[in-house]
Amino acid sequence: MGSTRMSLSAAFAAALAGALVLGLAACGSSGSVSGGSGITVAKGIQTPQSEAQSGGKRGGTLTVLNQTDFEQVDPGQAYFNIDYQVIYATQRPLFSYKPNTFANPSPDMASAPAQISSDGKTITIQIRGGVHFSPPVNREVTSADVAYAIERGANPNVGNAYFEAYFSSLVGFKQATGGPFPGISTPNKSTIVFHLSEPKAPIVLAALVLPLSAPVPAEFAKPLDAKKPTEYGNYQVATGPYMLKSNSAGKVLGIGYQPGKSATLVRNPNWSSSTDSRPAYLDQIDIKIGGDPTVIGRQVLEGSDMVQNEAPAQSIVKLAYEKFRSQLQISPGAGDHYIAVDNKQGPFANVNVRKAFWAALDRSAMNKARGGELVTNVMTHFIYPEIPGFEEAGGLKGPQVDYNDYPEGNTAVAAKYMRLAGYPSGRYTGAKTLEIVGSTGSPSAEDAEIVNQTLKNLGFKTKFNLVDSSVMYAKYCGVPAEAIDVCPSVAWIADFGDGQAVLDVPFNGKNIVATGNNNWGLVNDPEINKAMDAAELVVGVQARAAAWAQIDRKLVAQAAAIPFDWDKAPGIESKDVAGVGDLWNSGGWDYSYTSLK
Amino acid sequence: MTRYIIRRVLWGVLLLILVTALMFVLFRILPTGDPARLRAGRNASPQVIAALRHNLGLDKSLLAQFWIYMKEVFFHFNLGYSYYSSAPVRGLIAERLGPTVSLTVGASIVWLATGLPIGIISALRRRSLLDRASMGTALVFVSAPEYWLGLIALYLFAADIGKVKIFPGSGSYVALTSDPWKWFTSLLLPWLVLAAGSAAIYARLMRGSLSEVMEEDYIRTARAKGLSERRVVLRHGVRAAINPILTILALDVATLLGSAILVEVVFNIPGIGQLSYTAITHSDFPIVQGTVLLGALFIVVANILVDIAYAYLDPRVRFS
Amino acid sequence: MSIGAAELWGGTGAETPGDFEFPLAGGGVAALSPLQLFWRRFRQDRVALGALVFIVALVIVAIAAPLVVKLLGLPGPYVQNPNLTDSFGSPLGPSLAHPFGVDQLGQDVASRVIYGTRVALEVGILGTAVATLIGVVVGVLAGFYRGWVDTLLSRLIDVVLSIPILLLGLGIGAACAVRGCVGGTVQPGLGLVIFLIALANWTYIARIVRGLVLSLREREFVQASRALGASNAHIMFREIFPNLLAPIIVYATLLIPLNILLEAGLSFLGVGVRPPTASWGQMIAAATPIFNTAWWYMTFPGIALLLTVLAFNLLGDGLQDALNPRTAR
Repeated sequence: MGSTRMSLSAAFAAALAGALVLGLAACGSSGSVSGGSGITVAKGIQTPQSEAQSGGKRGGTLTVLNQTDFEQVDPGQAYFNIDYQVIYATQRPLFSYKPNTFANPSPDMASAPAQISSDGKTITIQIRGGVHFSPPVNREVTSADVAYAIERGANPNVGNAYFEAYFSSLVGFKQATGGPFPGISTPNKSTIVFHLSEPKAPIVLAALVLPLSAPVPAEFAKPLDAKKPTEYGNYQVATGPYMLKSNSAGKVLGIGYQPGKSATLVRNPNWSSSTDSRPAYLDQIDIKIGGDPTVIGRQVLEGSDMVQNEAPAQSIVKLAYEKFRSQLQISPGAGDHYIAVDNKQGPFANVNVRKAFWAALDRSAMNKARGGELVTNVMTHFIYPEIPGFEEAGGLKGPQVDYNDYPEGNTAVAAKYMRLAGYPSGRYTGAKTLEIVGSTGSPSAEDAEIVNQTLKNLGFKTKFNLVDSSVMYAKYCGVPAEAIDVCPSVAWIADFGDGQAVLDVPFNGKNIVATGNNNWGLVNDPEINKAMDAAELVVGVQARAAAWAQIDRKLVAQAAAIPFDWDKAPGIESKDVAGVGDLWNSGGWDYSYTSLK
Repeated sequence: MTRYIIRRVLWGVLLLILVTALMFVLFRILPTGDPARLRAGRNASPQVIAALRHNLGLDKSLLAQFWIYMKEVFFHFNLGYSYYSSAPVRGLIAERLGPTVSLTVGASIVWLATGLPIGIISALRRRSLLDRASMGTALVFVSAPEYWLGLIALYLFAADIGKVKIFPGSGSYVALTSDPWKWFTSLLLPWLVLAAGSAAIYARLMRGSLSEVMEEDYIRTARAKGLSERRVVLRHGVRAAINPILTILALDVATLLGSAILVEVVFNIPGIGQLSYTAITHSDFPIVQGTVLLGALFIVVANILVDIAYAYLDPRVRFS
Repeated sequence: MSIGAAELWGGTGAETPGDFEFPLAGGGVAALSPLQLFWRRFRQDRVALGALVFIVALVIVAIAAPLVVKLLGLPGPYVQNPNLTDSFGSPLGPSLAHPFGVDQLGQDVASRVIYGTRVALEVGILGTAVATLIGVVVGVLAGFYRGWVDTLLSRLIDVVLSIPILLLGLGIGAACAVRGCVGGTVQPGLGLVIFLIALANWTYIARIVRGLVLSLREREFVQASRALGASNAHIMFREIFPNLLAPIIVYATLLIPLNILLEAGLSFLGVGVRPPTASWGQMIAAATPIFNTAWWYMTFPGIALLLTVLAFNLLGDGLQDALNPRTAR
């Protein structure tokens, strides 16, 4: 399976719309500006939008076969798609999405939509009553539990990756180390209030769909959070319809979760369907980790009561399409893949060389290696389908510039831009040998090889390397000092459905950091930076879509990176499973809605 | 005799310490990636990464880290905690020992049961068609990569994806205690694949060893004494011929126990090989060190046992 | 890998390995020279001869790979062709134009199998050569000087043998990716693989050579040389070493197939030559995700690997039999 790293998956289109319409004098309606991508999914194939969310049969055990293990199971640490299948079945954040949308989050632990003050600096949320923690804590959830859950994001033992990114506008954020701080207060046991130092309520509210806001009982978790690193994940309690199987002390490690081997979800005895809209048909979910993806795929397709809850192998997707079509699901708007080139130094610092590369690349071939038109669309700009601003930035066809007009690549156009860059022969004649670091595993490795060959055809000499995906990010492409020229295997999934979530971190110069850098191309155009900082403060879904679409067009004009794939995520199930996938999680099967036939 | 044993055991312990030290240094100096960075995930700020490094103890000096690790291992038998899941390494290894032992011991029984008889027959019927055919087949199995054999075996015989659905497919392993029949059937194909190459080798070894032994004088004497050929071969010939094979067997099994990575990966058996493979790609040092230490332990113990056996049988060795 | 090598060195090292009874160089009778004797015995072994011919053919193919590919009318091994995959990206199978089919990038498999002989032979022969060199040096020193030198070197061998080689290879391979290590002298790709192979296997040669030297140094001709006042270096190089040559060649030849398999194993686990260079082990590794729909991609390189390793094994066996008439006939 592809080893591209998938991070936060939620595209929260009208999350902002909801909040803004409520609290601020929003302009325009929220309907006309969201995705509307025109992305077609092949006929006869179910999508998260087409699957029924009710009427399922109660009972039974679902077996899940996954090749990859979870990264983290602690809700304060989890940040990867693969983790969410467990997190969102066992934890209830303040707001969450129904499976068929990533607009309009519904109140989950919150009992009603949030209230935002007119200056945009205070968010007040009512906590739902009657929700209890699973054994051994058992008691009712209060606002203090939600507060603790978010506060522990600042605890270095927890090491939450996005606390600073989204909650830095909370008052006293800099002094927060895991304990209470002024930015969060709980006037009574069913109310929580966020105090901001800047009017960044939309971003803070949007971030409350992330697992960090799922309640954590302080008295139970504090001793565990004192360990370095925290052990709460190994002893966690649940608020959702399911829980990781545990012993009487609440220990999950070795019982409900055996790293690298299996995980078991059982019903949370303290969950009450009267407090939750989730149907929770299944009695138990057995997750088996590891194995060969081709074998897993066959077992799921030909067996019964099984799903695979990650992207299946390409040959399996083909098999499913040809012989098991009713067991295949395609989920659009699942993220994108592009090639990061070093904008700061080396041959690609020249915009014309970047344009030449864009023109030369056969994006169809790149996508064919990923499975063809069933699961990809040729990427022509940077905001992806289902995210506001997609149409405004050019829609499917993208900005009509000559280097963008040829999905199969065009050597004449490429040569033209090389000449403009100062290479009269139309090919590179300089001395630099390009360093390319891609990731191993199909299809990233194949795509990287196509990139290698394309660059060679342009006249470059290359030093081509494939390393494990996490190493590629952590040691090479994510470290500016390494100055890698080409990173062909980078991918992005937005944290919410807003242009900022797609463009800001990867393309804003101010987000370049020494380690863990996600602006892989070291893009640092002052004009674009300024536009992004201004667009961050824009209010109203339509206005934001327009602002960020403008920035998208600027990025295309600068060829800041070389796009190639808009993903449509495939998923497979056995014939007797009525699977319901989460559109906001790349179609991952949602255990709270899936049932057996 | 006891002094010899003590000497060997002491050297064994020293060897373990040396090997651990070597691997420790190696994986720190040549890291595949900073585990803190790997674990921190996307969007992690440098503060988070620094905090993680501190939590994992990675910011101490190499010597300090090493000393702490050795102390924990040799005095408390604590192999540390996985960087990823915070699960204790000792626990992870303990639960994966079962499958690896099942795989290795079972395979060794299969390859001895098939390889030795073939080797004996080949030795007795030297240069015959049977000899050439079996040695030839043996050579083919020795020459094929085991994971390739494994994949082809799955493609041909696995119940879920094979052409001729005989054996359970990859990933069907269950523990002996939970379902003995399923445990047995799920290991059949891996045993056969793992044993294929080894059976061949042991057949060749037995053939060579027995051929040499059968030329010895005492065999002729035994025949002259009027013993049946069968007794001559089995009682005198094979008994002598099997000695060098046993030494190799001990070491083979010990080595396999520490590193049957390829077969475990192909058949998805949750053993130590698979654990170490994933750990290396994730820079999960504690697990890597733990598995290396375990592998070295097996080899050292096997070596000591073999040396002691030799010393017992051949007094000259004790004084070398 | 370890199993095959165990057969190689056949023992704990506590005993000396099988005797190599062969006529010493410089014998006095006007008879066939040892080399001629050896060749005559070897020639009678049809199978080993066949293996030798096959290997020579392999070498020729490796050297003349571009020519072979052109003669067969195949596209080059690095020519990517997206039209040769179907709309799902699955490669097309064997056809007239592509007798072994194509891979996921549309590269011709037959062409890559032919170019793969280069990597296999380079890795096998070079890797073995380096391992043998190190092993011989260490073995001669240990066996000749004995005493603390021997103890030290033998203990070193013990340590290296206790380390799981595949794990070590994985770790070093992963660590040396992209920028290389040992100050850049060991670059990822072929150099790294040869480095790892040498590291893994020198111990077997060292043990054997040590045993041989230990027994040889007590022989009369060495005593005679010493009595005549020859220096240690002279004894080592002029007296002992020539008599090591034959067994070294035999064991080195038997080591080659092991090293080729080791490279395949390393490639399977992700440490190997860098794409787009074709190596059989890497092709099998790349074929693994699609092995049940694209059988050709895994089968043909696998067969090539099998035949090559088989040939070297047969050759090694033949050499061994030819040099050791006692154990053969």
